[in-house]
Amino acid sequence: VRRAVGLYAASAVLLIGSAFPFLWMLSTALKPSGEIFATPRFVPLHPTLENFSRLFADTSFLVFFRNSVVVAGATVLLTLTVSALGAYSLTRYRFRGRDSVAGLILLTYMFAPIMIIIPFYILVRQLGIVNTRLALVLSYTTFCLPFCLWVLRAFFQSIPLELEEAALVDGAGRGRTVWYVVLPLALPGLIAAGIFTFILAWNDFLFALVLITSEELKTLPVGVNDLFNATIVDWGMIMAAGVMITVPTVGFFVVV
Amino acid sequence: VGKSAVVGWLLLAPSLVLLGGLVVFPVLYNIWLSLFDKHAFMPVQSFVGLRHYRYFATDPEFWASFRYGTIYAGATMVLQLGVGVPAALLLNEGFRGRNLLRGVVLFPYMIPTIVAVILWKWLLNDSYGLVNHLLLRAGLVSTPVPWLGPDYMMAALIVTSVWQFFPFVVVTYLARLQTIPPELYEAATVDGASAWRRFVHVTLPQTASVLFVIVLLRSIWMFTKFDTVWLMAGDGGVSRYIRTLPVYAYARSFTYLQAGMGAALAVIMFAMLLAATAVYFRVFRSEEVFS
Repeated sequence: VRRAVGLYAASAVLLIGSAFPFLWMLSTALKPSGEIFATPRFVPLHPTLENFSRLFADTSFLVFFRNSVVVAGATVLLTLTVSALGAYSLTRYRFRGRDSVAGLILLTYMFAPIMIIIPFYILVRQLGIVNTRLALVLSYTTFCLPFCLWVLRAFFQSIPLELEEAALVDGAGRGRTVWYVVLPLALPGLIAAGIFTFILAWNDFLFALVLITSEELKTLPVGVNDLFNATIVDWGMIMAAGVMITVPTVGFFVVV
Repeated sequence: VGKSAVVGWLLLAPSLVLLGGLVVFPVLYNIWLSLFDKHAFMPVQSFVGLRHYRYFATDPEFWASFRYGTIYAGATMVLQLGVGVPAALLLNEGFRGRNLLRGVVLFPYMIPTIVAVILWKWLLNDSYGLVNHLLLRAGLVSTPVPWLGPDYMMAALIVTSVWQFFPFVVVTYLARLQTIPPELYEAATVDGASAWRRFVHVTLPQTASVLFVIVLLRSIWMFTKFDTVWLMAGDGGVSRYIRTLPVYAYARSFTYLQAGMGAALAVIMFAMLLAATAVYFRVFRSEEVFS
């Protein structure tokens, strides 16, 4: 019994430590401004959505939100396509240097973005795509690739070749075989890689800060940081923004 | 299945082009750039050799950033282990609601940094923050603590970062804990070993190699962490009390627009990490943690 009490006490501490800050954010977002600056209480006395309506009406928040959705969505599509092609090559074709290429790809994962952001910025400028969504999509895709390639490679390796050979013998072309046999079997890997990619693109601050300058192309992290720094902090509205940014992440958590 | 090497390379080509063009080339270009005086976006540049490196050797701002960066990486790494390892041990026990808790614990790690930062700035707000309110009510302090002022800024940054990143330690350590054969614990229990002794003599040796990797990765990632530090204070005002090397490199490149100097800082950071990693491997490998 003492052990059970200890376990549950420790669990409660861990639960509160991890989740309470989010609940406090939600609670603040639902409070009218009078209550936000009064003696703190957890459940709002007069819950209201006015912080959210102010966020949507008075700021560019919805523009930032749409930009984030577009950029993260495009990044997921491009990353999955490129890494699936690469992983298929690494598991189904034999060529010299195949395994060293796979190792080198993983090695590129070791470079932190801050260590290459300067030449990266100059390069993107010279390509003439500075301040475009394309620049963001390409940078996120590149940074997700090593991880996604390795995850998909592991999944593809676990799919028995006999299944594909059977489909090929039955007259399905290579493309149809991959589409109807390989990809469905690798679906859990595609989902995992997709979520990883989405979260990276959705959360990134550095590339968005450096590569995007115009207001109408900004994504959420930079946009919300601007809102935060703009004037005297409107805490209710900022917390409402925090809740909104967290929604997709909660969504994945509930679904998966 | 596939026989043709040409098709193999073709399928791999998009990945190689992206990684070669946007990672490998910038890394090499960065080294080249660090030998020039170059404006961040004007085309002018002039060769200066190793001048930037010599400059930083005696630059007080550089050494201050190095010190802050080391304190930040060291403190957050130790605390992430201090919170993450016990949490993983707890989540390895069997009890109701364990799977839910395993999911909830991941949350701080999955949210954008901007959310973690504004959330903690609000909790630590000196006049209206919950933390000061609770401290005052418990009688632990008599006046509100200025958490985001010069004296406590680093502490606030460390708390925020540990909260944001400890789940990585939990997940990684837990994954290894789950693969320890239960027979080892049964044997130790039969021998009358206490829970603490079981931890020291069974769990620790079994998990030494994963701890080795966690310490390495987390140290590198915290040393090169930009967004959390930057978002805490930007590059004006109190930022000088928490300015780490990544923030200094950013400020050099994009605030002062001295891309060559920023590139040199990036090279220095990389060299430092490489050297630290080499030492780390030498020290711990030689003690045969991996038996």
